[in-house]
Amino acid sequence: MIKGFFIAFVLLICSTSCVAVKEYDKVNLNDPDMALSEKKLDLNISTFHSYREAAVGVNGGKTGGGCGCN
Amino acid sequence: MMKIKESIYLSFFLFAIITWAQAQEDVSNTTYKKRVLETSEIDFLSSYYTQDGNNAAVSGGIGSEDLTDVTGTIVIAIPINDDDVLTIDAGISAYTSASSSNIDPFDGDSPADPFVASSGASKQDVWSSVVLGYSHSSDSRNDIVSAKMSVSKEFDYFSLGFGGGYTKLFNQKNTEVSINANVYLDTWRAIYPVELRPFTANGNGIANGLFLNNSITGNTNYNPIFTPFKDENRNSYAVGLGFSQILSKKLQGSLLVDFVQQEGVLSTPFQRVYFSDVADSFIDNFHLADAIEQLPDSRFKIAFGGRLHYYINEVFVVRSYYRYYKDDWGVNSHTASLEVPIKITDKFTVYPSYRFYNQTAADYFAPYNVHLSASEFYTSDYDLSKYTANQFGIGVTYTDIFTNFHLWRFGLKSIDLKYNNYQRDSGLKASIISTGLKFIVD
Repeated sequence: MIKGFFIAFVLLICSTSCVAVKEYDKVNLNDPDMALSEKKLDLNISTFHSYREAAVGVNGGKTGGGCGCN
Repeated sequence: MMKIKESIYLSFFLFAIITWAQAQEDVSNTTYKKRVLETSEIDFLSSYYTQDGNNAAVSGGIGSEDLTDVTGTIVIAIPINDDDVLTIDAGISAYTSASSSNIDPFDGDSPADPFVASSGASKQDVWSSVVLGYSHSSDSRNDIVSAKMSVSKEFDYFSLGFGGGYTKLFNQKNTEVSINANVYLDTWRAIYPVELRPFTANGNGIANGLFLNNSITGNTNYNPIFTPFKDENRNSYAVGLGFSQILSKKLQGSLLVDFVQQEGVLSTPFQRVYFSDVADSFIDNFHLADAIEQLPDSRFKIAFGGRLHYYINEVFVVRSYYRYYKDDWGVNSHTASLEVPIKITDKFTVYPSYRFYNQTAADYFAPYNVHLSASEFYTSDYDLSKYTANQFGIGVTYTDIFTNFHLWRFGLKSIDLKYNNYQRDSGLKASIISTGLKFIVD
């Protein structure tokens, strides 16, 4: 799995050399729903997930701090 | 473990190479720079969360998990100058919990029962938190440095956190790499199940008033395994790496990896455990604890995943997410989610979503009354059990880019409302309603 991740990582790095969308062509990419992050509204949901589930990380939510024990 | 360490080193190496290489071709344009944040923004967020189930960890894997939580959060982003932004995130959360109430199940009027909430002080608590963040962007907007500090507190727990990050954009802002690190220094104020407290070194054991005022049934020679934690600290160290890439005029994605090392008291002091090789003792309908949860004092977690977002047309966007998680307690997990924002009009967007989650059980998990007393580590917390969860959500957002509606100097930019329903195949059900109001300061 970890090996697969790094292969994907390297492939994405390689892809940077062939794609360069100009600023004036980013109107669709700048749509708020295209943002590559969780919305503020979903932060409380992410916190609930981090309390009820073992898995944490790579979602912009908590990776530590707080007990989440209730 | 060595492979994971090697992966960390490799990540740092790759990050350093990319940063150095792209710095060589970074052409800054400092003749004009747009403010990072034009004006102050204020978000008022709130949520109402309820859950119920029959596997409460406080009562060793059986009992009511009924819990209600109301959270209010205010997030203020203030532009300090053209380049710097200060963010203040303050939240308060109040909850009532049936399982927490059963830390002392004998303080109510009705017979003690793990499926009935007790009326004692532990049935409710308030959590409060403040996070201060500061970010600085370079003139070219290709370098962003950030720092943050957080404090949170509840009755039996205190957390102090600080961290920082660096983001580098290059390839005409088509590519972004980032690294962040966070440290959380937490402290328990350990609270133990009430029937165990007389069994500390200075306690009077079975001669305590609790056992004199309440008749023990089953094994009347109640003699639990109990030693309070000497160290009440829990520290977490997290490092995250990110890489995002524009893949076309309508498609962009990101890859992320997080490493988390936790040390200290990772057990929850008030979670009971029952052993199959120890005779059962009861008061009323409540099984007296054989011990409290015991978990290793270190845990290493690694999570990696990514997002892929596609702009189909002016109406539809597809937001997809996947995460793989693994830790050295034996938990493996997959998370996948899909959200399809649908722009109904220029002001209203609907957000249907689905999220899938599964995990394997931790090595130390067993259900109620299954553990053996000779084991070193044990828990009956179903949050560490094997399960699959499905979550369905629907949300709606009203957006007014012209902020026509005003409250004093605050122009309303958007209103959000979202409902999510979460169900585990182990029986836990939860619902959360979230609302958000975003204002722009004139």
